[in-house]
Amino acid sequence: MGKQLKKKRAPEEKAGALIAVVLLVAFYVFLFLLDNAIPTNSVTVMLIPVLKKSAIFALVCVSMNLLNGFTGLFSLGQAGFMLIGAYSFAIFSIPAGQHDAVYQYFNGGAIRFSIPEILSGVLGENAGAFWGSIICIIIAGLVAAVFAALIGIPVLRLKSDYLAIATLGFAEIIRAVFQWDGLGVVTNGSNLLRKYTNFHDIKIQIGGTIFQLDTLFPVLIATVCILIIVLLVNSSYGRAFKAIRDDEVAAEAMGINLFRHKMLSFVISSFFAGVGGALLAMFQTTVQAAPFRTSMTYEILLMVVIGGIGSISGSCIASFLYIAASEWWLRFLDSGGITVMGTHFDIPFFRDGFRKVVFSVVIMIIVLFFSRGIMGDKELSFAGMIRKIRRRKEAKGAAAAGKEGEAQ
Amino acid sequence: MKKILALLLAGCMAFALAACGTPAEPADDGGEDTAAAGDTVVIGVYEPLSGDNGAGGKQEVLGMQYANSVAPTVEIDGKTYNVKLEIADNESSNDKAVSAANTLISKGPSIILGSYGSGVSIAASDTFEQNGIPAMGVTCTNPQVTEGNSHYFRICFLDPFQGTVLANFAKDELGANTVYCLGQLGNDYDQGLLKYFQQAAEEKGMTVITDSFPEGTSDFNSYLTTAKNKGAEVIFAPTSISYAQLIVEQASAQGITMPLLASDTWDSNVILSAAQGKDLSIYVTTFYAEGGNPEFEQGFKEWINADSTNLSNNGGDDTIAAVSVMGYDAYFVALEALKAAGSTDPGAVMEALPGVTYSGVSGDISFNEIGDANRTTAFVKTANVSENVWDFVAVQGVE
Repeated sequence: MGKQLKKKRAPEEKAGALIAVVLLVAFYVFLFLLDNAIPTNSVTVMLIPVLKKSAIFALVCVSMNLLNGFTGLFSLGQAGFMLIGAYSFAIFSIPAGQHDAVYQYFNGGAIRFSIPEILSGVLGENAGAFWGSIICIIIAGLVAAVFAALIGIPVLRLKSDYLAIATLGFAEIIRAVFQWDGLGVVTNGSNLLRKYTNFHDIKIQIGGTIFQLDTLFPVLIATVCILIIVLLVNSSYGRAFKAIRDDEVAAEAMGINLFRHKMLSFVISSFFAGVGGALLAMFQTTVQAAPFRTSMTYEILLMVVIGGIGSISGSCIASFLYIAASEWWLRFLDSGGITVMGTHFDIPFFRDGFRKVVFSVVIMIIVLFFSRGIMGDKELSFAGMIRKIRRRKEAKGAAAAGKEGEAQ
Repeated sequence: MKKILALLLAGCMAFALAACGTPAEPADDGGEDTAAAGDTVVIGVYEPLSGDNGAGGKQEVLGMQYANSVAPTVEIDGKTYNVKLEIADNESSNDKAVSAANTLISKGPSIILGSYGSGVSIAASDTFEQNGIPAMGVTCTNPQVTEGNSHYFRICFLDPFQGTVLANFAKDELGANTVYCLGQLGNDYDQGLLKYFQQAAEEKGMTVITDSFPEGTSDFNSYLTTAKNKGAEVIFAPTSISYAQLIVEQASAQGITMPLLASDTWDSNVILSAAQGKDLSIYVTTFYAEGGNPEFEQGFKEWINADSTNLSNNGGDDTIAAVSVMGYDAYFVALEALKAAGSTDPGAVMEALPGVTYSGVSGDISFNEIGDANRTTAFVKTANVSENVWDFVAVQGVE
């Protein structure tokens, strides 16, 4: 069997991987140019935030997919873990000088150091901000993972709907705890955390010139994390997850430790949700617990469903389409009319809120008619495309040969 | 069938993309006869039109739109420009703030007005700063909006001021010794104002009992009972309008006779209609009292009544909300800034803003070194439950 698999990894696989790598590198180069060379115009000014946010949500969606799509654990705690990640990131990266302003009601707060700032003192400003925020992002993921491990012990003994309700409840409790005044010296209570390191502070110095990494940074982190999840899903652990998803009893009979694997999946998923939360904090430049409500989890779940439960590439595509449609493409529906070729048409029902109506209808259509999402449980694969093209060519060749044969 | 549908959807998306791809053309609606077409200055309006603060945000925008209808052009450096308002909905949510701010920036504004709600203002602040565009808060009262930056200004009073005014009023006019304070957990506006109120009230020797309710609460009976049992003489609840409505109704159902005290958020006709015909006394501090400028009020009411959309955005009747007045003044302050800058360049406007002074409907406006308006008084109003209007009570300062 193993030999057969190796044999199958024929030229298509190699070519497919090569195409994927080339496209990814080209995308990175494009983002780098977008940050540094391409002047802002009315398109890029919207494209940049949409790319950033959709990269972040792609990561969160994939982390949710790992749990819901690959392990079959229906968890709705994603927003809670993002909240933990966002707060952990912000708390550890507010510069010391800003504490009095940020924690204005709590005498400057309890944690009075900033990792990026400390590193800046050692490595220089740009490298300090870069590595400091990476360390903070990892801390954010770890804190979320620790919470997940603790909550997982009781919660993962539950099944399907009960698990969903328990994790949903956990997310709500976390939000209330973070808003509680008693913890204000750390979380700033109901007030915003701000002034911490954000994407605009991420720069690298090559030679004498400083390059901005506004957009490249989140996309890079998100792709690295997604790649790790892909590797995990394709490893023996991933096969165990899928076995649990398909049939718990059969999986257990095969010798898979159910609880251990469920826990592993839950903790890893939460780690990446925490990383996503940290990136979202950087994107928003302010953090408050209030937006991390259940509706954010539903938004993520919706993206996963639209993309296809169990498809990583589907989650990435869906998060881009969802964010772009809701925050960019459909905004013109609110603006009172449309401008086509320089002439402005007033359309009476194009007013505030109409965007949301259209968006809901589009989502309903997708869910009704594409109930398995854009990708189903398949992946976008260049190797598959090459194979398809080749097969089509062969079929054509065969048909042509057949015709020739007939003619003769 | 599926293929056709997929094509149709793809078509919709492509159409949407195309519609966004075209840069915003200067619209020439109405102002053509007074100005040459094409010379347009854009004022960005960054306001919540949906979400928790949607009702207040809409009323604030109405003030700006009315101002725009009164003064659709501005003369900058000897040249007449059409003023175009570009509105973006921030959905009262910090996670939508950045993209809403970027939507405005893509329209090339010279200045941005907004927002109702301090949290979203702070969340968008960095985006405005990075693009070098000045912003002017209209009714965001949290000190953090303008603190420590040079691009954010504001024309209203601040929470520390408002909290002190309210505490003074509770002590001096309502004669309260024990106050029950209620705010939403996780709402920086409520909690910030409660803190300042508490500070001032305790300095005056009052007893303050604070309580918070979680988001989405619809039953306030237990909170109101607590207030009664603890012997409170005044309930101070500076919540957002949606909760305020419920509090008013349930307070009346419980037969609570002690005064309800609240802040600028409660100054809305939604509260009036909730309180109509009920035996309640409601006091609010606000930016403007009706009757302050009859000429403006008449014009605004006519304008509101002339359009059913405006009427529904104003909550269904033509009561003037203080936030509309502030929106109106903000628009004219922005025009003054444009005139003073002598150019539509955002950088020039930013430089000109600190020196701008303007006598508006809500009073004289000038900025201090932080970028906040110099305001020394607030208006106190009470709900007239029989006639469904706000009655002016007093002008209150901090002494």
